[in-house]
Amino acid sequence: MSETESPQRRIGVYICHCGGNISDYVDVERVREAISADPDVVVGKTTLFACADGTQHEMIDDIHAEGLDGLVVASCSPKLHTTTFRGVSTRADLNPYAYTQVNIREQDSWAHTDDHEGATQKAIALVQAGIAKTRLSLPLEPLRVETVPATMVVGGGITGLRTAIGLADIGIAVTIVEREAEVGGWVGRLGPMFPHNASGRDQISQLMAEIARRPTITVLTNAELVGKTGSFGNYTAKVKLRTETTEELRQFQVGTFVIATGADVYSPEVGELGYGIDGVVTIHEFGALVDAAQGSGSLTWQGRKVRSVAYVYCVGNRQVGGNEYCSKFCCAATVHASIKVADLDPSIRQFHLHRDVRAYGKYELMYTESRERGSVYMRYPDDALPSIEQMPDKRLAVTVTDALTSQDEITLPVDLVVLVTGMVPRDNDDLTTLLKLPTGDDGFYNEIHPKLRPVETVVDGVLIAGACQGPKPATEAVSGGLAAVTQSAGILKKGFAELDPLVATVTESLCTGCGDCLTTCPYDAISSYVCDEGQKASIAAASCKGCGGCVPVCPEDAIDLLGYTSAQMMAAIDGLSVKEPVA
Amino acid sequence: MDYDVLVIGSGIGGMESSIKLGDMGYKVLLVEKEASVGGRMILLSKVFPTLDCASCISGPKMSSTINHPNITTKTYSEVTGIKRRPDGRFTATVKEKSTFVDWAACTGCSDCQTACTVAVPDEFNADLAARRAAYIAFPQAVPKKAVLDREGTSPCIGACPAGIKAHGYVSLVRSGKDEEAFQLVLDATPLVGTLGRACYAPCESECTRTKLEGPVPIRLIKRFAADQHYAANGATPSGPAVEVAEPNGKKVAVVGSGPAGLTAAWQLARQGYQVKIFEKRSQPGGFLRHAIPSYRLPHEVVDADIANLTSIGVEIECDAKIDDIAALKDSGYDAVVVATGTQNATPMNVPNEDAAGSVNGLDFLADVANDNAPDLTGKRVVVVGGGNVAMDAARVSLRLGAADVKVVYRRTRAEMPAHHVEADDAEAEGAQFEFLVTPLEVLATDGQVTGVRLQKMQLGAPDASGRRSPEPIQGSETSVACDMVISTIGMSPDATLYENVVTVGRGKRIAVDPHTLQTEVPYLFAAGDVATGATDITRAIGAGRRAAHMVDRWVNDQPMTGFTALDDRIDTIGHDTVLSRQTAFGHRNPIKGAVDLTQLPRDFHEIESPLTEEQARAGAGSCLDCGVCSECQECVHACPADAIRMDKRDVENDFEVGAVVVSTGYKLFAADNKPEYGWGRYANVITGMQMDRLLAPTRPFNTVLRPGDGKVPERIAYISCTGSRDAQVGNPLCSKVCCMYSIKQNQLIMGALPLADVTMHYMDMRAAGKRYDEFYEQAKDMGAQYIRGRVSKVTEKENGDLVLRYEDTEGTGEIVEAEYDLVVLAVGIQPNRDVERLFTDEELGLDEYFYVAEPSEDLDPGVTDVPGVFVAGTASGAKDIVDTIVHAGAAVAQVAAHLEKAEQATKAEVLA
Repeated sequence: MSETESPQRRIGVYICHCGGNISDYVDVERVREAISADPDVVVGKTTLFACADGTQHEMIDDIHAEGLDGLVVASCSPKLHTTTFRGVSTRADLNPYAYTQVNIREQDSWAHTDDHEGATQKAIALVQAGIAKTRLSLPLEPLRVETVPATMVVGGGITGLRTAIGLADIGIAVTIVEREAEVGGWVGRLGPMFPHNASGRDQISQLMAEIARRPTITVLTNAELVGKTGSFGNYTAKVKLRTETTEELRQFQVGTFVIATGADVYSPEVGELGYGIDGVVTIHEFGALVDAAQGSGSLTWQGRKVRSVAYVYCVGNRQVGGNEYCSKFCCAATVHASIKVADLDPSIRQFHLHRDVRAYGKYELMYTESRERGSVYMRYPDDALPSIEQMPDKRLAVTVTDALTSQDEITLPVDLVVLVTGMVPRDNDDLTTLLKLPTGDDGFYNEIHPKLRPVETVVDGVLIAGACQGPKPATEAVSGGLAAVTQSAGILKKGFAELDPLVATVTESLCTGCGDCLTTCPYDAISSYVCDEGQKASIAAASCKGCGGCVPVCPEDAIDLLGYTSAQMMAAIDGLSVKEPVA
Repeated sequence: MDYDVLVIGSGIGGMESSIKLGDMGYKVLLVEKEASVGGRMILLSKVFPTLDCASCISGPKMSSTINHPNITTKTYSEVTGIKRRPDGRFTATVKEKSTFVDWAACTGCSDCQTACTVAVPDEFNADLAARRAAYIAFPQAVPKKAVLDREGTSPCIGACPAGIKAHGYVSLVRSGKDEEAFQLVLDATPLVGTLGRACYAPCESECTRTKLEGPVPIRLIKRFAADQHYAANGATPSGPAVEVAEPNGKKVAVVGSGPAGLTAAWQLARQGYQVKIFEKRSQPGGFLRHAIPSYRLPHEVVDADIANLTSIGVEIECDAKIDDIAALKDSGYDAVVVATGTQNATPMNVPNEDAAGSVNGLDFLADVANDNAPDLTGKRVVVVGGGNVAMDAARVSLRLGAADVKVVYRRTRAEMPAHHVEADDAEAEGAQFEFLVTPLEVLATDGQVTGVRLQKMQLGAPDASGRRSPEPIQGSETSVACDMVISTIGMSPDATLYENVVTVGRGKRIAVDPHTLQTEVPYLFAAGDVATGATDITRAIGAGRRAAHMVDRWVNDQPMTGFTALDDRIDTIGHDTVLSRQTAFGHRNPIKGAVDLTQLPRDFHEIESPLTEEQARAGAGSCLDCGVCSECQECVHACPADAIRMDKRDVENDFEVGAVVVSTGYKLFAADNKPEYGWGRYANVITGMQMDRLLAPTRPFNTVLRPGDGKVPERIAYISCTGSRDAQVGNPLCSKVCCMYSIKQNQLIMGALPLADVTMHYMDMRAAGKRYDEFYEQAKDMGAQYIRGRVSKVTEKENGDLVLRYEDTEGTGEIVEAEYDLVVLAVGIQPNRDVERLFTDEELGLDEYFYVAEPSEDLDPGVTDVPGVFVAGTASGAKDIVDTIVHAGAAVAQVAAHLEKAEQATKAEVLA
């Protein structure tokens, strides 16, 4: 670049020792001398720790005192301290995009501990590139997009309902979309649940009563989400409403979606562990039986009094080649069921054939109570499933290897066999496809990261909660729903969102409307419009992720990426190739 | 309202809560008791089931927390009380604990850490390694700032009337920094060698090791440092002994060259004053030279100490008796310090007291010191009195050849004011004691002493001092024949110097303000025994330091109040606190200096031997570092930013907040409560947290090794449910995380040590959670062994290997003993009961296992029984990181709903 093109800038450059991490290998003083020759470098300093509070204050003072309009910090990876020095810039009333981070630690001093001269030369080149890029920096403002203070909750089970209340309570309007005719999901059909014996039915009623008190919640049943358009914080959702005779499409403006579609229960194949034989039931069927017995005071099956029960755990779970996952809730649910049975009739003999009793945390107390009240727990080997046969007297013979007592098989005659079946992902292909929701190899929806972003998906504005994400007890599903409330509120509460302005823009005068860019954008951010000069491309800033994929596609170089303009990058490359002035 | 929400604890739950609340626009006050945010997760290696590096997850959250515009973070702070106000909000009192470092100046360079001489177990490395008393919590600390761990002033320093940093120089000698140790004492007084010999060492009486096998030999360590210095530098320094401030043009006269005067002069001269000492006698040193016998304190040592003083320009004029203070002042001084001590011996007031052969102890000792000793060969000597001077007189008499020395004292041995060591040593050298007698008359023939007539006494009622007063037993007189009587029954100041200038107090002392040491005549100050009556060297030195400080204030027109201590001492830490924080004590035979006590000694050689270097280091090495920081000042000298602030103190502030999130986390089970597993006794039994530190990127040894001998382990066993599911230790709950972290470590170990065999002894493998069971299967596929059954006992073999005894429940059913190199106890989670102290006026409901209760957990997780108070993370029960983050998200939704409701209510009130 020639001198005449070079705008006169006032740049401050800070070269960090990093307490020796850099200065042990890079002669930082020489780097400072080399770059100080640049006429646009008004302040050139070395510093023990650029990130230290004291240095930050010094930078702010320098920016004010010297009227700096650009900042270059040569220290560590931008991953560590970009926010730190953008913050410094903002506090000093300097546009944060006039700051450039130069990495002379991870990419220089640490990589070249054996070559001090080379590391020093490289540092000079890197800092020169940073200065060159900064010289051409433009002040940028964050993109502000208005957000709609409304959320659509898909699924009206315990998670969806609790989520809706949470959202309404912080001022976000909610539309619940439930596919079935009734809300409540699985929990709505259950009686007393672990760990506090609260009835599932009662909990759903309680939530519905709360929802009735909140006018900002709309509950749609027989309804399905069928369309989603728009951009971050402002989507149009299309919902199909069914009655027996009609179908209606309605549109809602929402800022976020919370997907709380829950899970299904595993349904054993006929013949699997005796399923299909009279007296072999799933834990869900058994739960209904126990709940129904509450009034009568005795547990009966087909009119016969049940004197003994065997529970076979991990059915449809922890199966190599099948559902390999653990469903997390079933151990505690079964332990809890056995206590309810003991409440009904303490003389009923109960055998638990398990692989590990996963009564984690405080659920351990239920496990202890169950044992104290007579339940017998027997561990069967992972590779030796129990077998179930009907005996001539219609009772059932459960044959199992009890790992604890002996290697020999024992046979338990029982009246009822309960198959402890876990959860399976729901069949929600339409929704999954519509929202492009990612699923794991277990078939459940995947969050971005279980620890960093546990209720967010890779799809902007679409959050997940509850059992659709993976099997879990209801209380944990509720927690997940509330976490999704928090995440939604973080996006919607302010009424606007600020996005990084590092996005692509089209120079209208250069665009020939060839349309090449339209198909390259993975985020559908590029569209075309017609003006007097014909067809032109346009990029929706709120949808653009700044990936830069469209820039090289444009044959006219009409697209530029703000913050990383072609001119900046060329200048930076030139900067890299400038040799240290020979002294 | 100051903040919308107070979040207590900045572990993963607290950070997540704060960030989410901040993102919603709420103003958050986050209070963390440690110096860095991050809690425990940042200390872990990798985390299950994704095997992400813990730092990569925690680090950005720590950074977001501290940089968030809506979050104010107070680290190294504690919430000391929360009160609910009538309007439903809260007033929270937050104590910002003093870091003793100016964090605005601190760059986190860790030079202080390198310089620090105290090492204590590093809690951030699960006590596997040591950290310094000046420390940065851990390498990725946010904020990365240093803290001085000062749990209190160490008892030895607290006990020193001279304010000498005993712990500091002990710690320096322990580190081989003998010259720095000398300099540290020199900072208080030039009399380093003197104190190393003649001090009664109140520091040693208060040393916490006294409660064990015996004190650290503090005084002899100081002597060691002094001897090293003088041996290396010569008794007369070639240049100034210390750096001295530029001359300030002010002049101070000091009258008297005892320890008080010398110290006052020293301190003033260092600050730039021109100081001149006037000494009546021919040689300086006062009682150091003229009363303390040279077998205890050789004159060369006193000379060397005084040479420090003259090396920085203090002029000592001997044979210069001052009679007129006003004239002295007018001869060009800005202030005068009187430090003339107690020179007048108290007379016995008995007949023939002035007979030849009857002397007072002070004159006797002074004559001996000035090479004017009488020949006592074959003589019989009676010493009257029971103080230290009596012991000195008796022992000196023996050295002068006396055949028989008898000390007569009017009370019993128990009441004798002499230091018990002095009395014992005198007796060992051959002095005899006769108690409950008082002289009635010196017997003399031709003006020459022939004996003493004595009255027998008995002890009556206690007097004002609490000692029982001796009463004469009528008609019970006796007499002792002798050639010499030395009376040592007391001493008092000589008031002739000042009686015409200022008020003379009780016992002829000069009257001063005890705080400022200033007399009624503003320019005149007094230090030492002249103002207090006879005390000891350390008190005189302390007074000299104080007088110098006060003279400086007065000369510079600074306020004379507000100065309470000689230095930056804080409250002295209690012995019990120190002892209770030790998990084990190595018995150390106390190191003492050898004292050469022979019957009837006949010369004046120094009787106490110095410590050998080995003894000095070992003696210093037995220091328990009571206050943690030794106040050795090494960090002060090392800090390039001049950021160390020993005078910083805790600050308490009240904040009004709208809601509270309790995210105080958990405590790990203390594995020594399971003695059958041997943790704390067997070096190669470690906890899961310790293994995580061994595996972490910032690990202490840069590899996995067993602590006992540094061997890389090949056979590693895990014992799950240590402290969980165990009624014996009072915890019937499952801790939820231990199975999974063990499986994680199993995988990491197999990665780090491909040859190692890893076996886990478990009860139920609680791999319940998304991708957890798959993670367990993966570990099995990698080769980890899982054996079901609880281990009953661990025993240690001589080579440090460990034998696990268990029933092979799923195999043969027999009792098996298996050998391992390293045993890892999968310790569980316990409630952090600090939450019980958070609320001042009401109680935060806990469940029966002392976790914060969530009364409506099913539908309202995160809600406690106090309206406006919420709980996030493990404070309400065992949770893993994933659960904690989700739970924190839920708690935040509850907080937001609460604040929204409160705001609506306020709006409604305004409208109404």
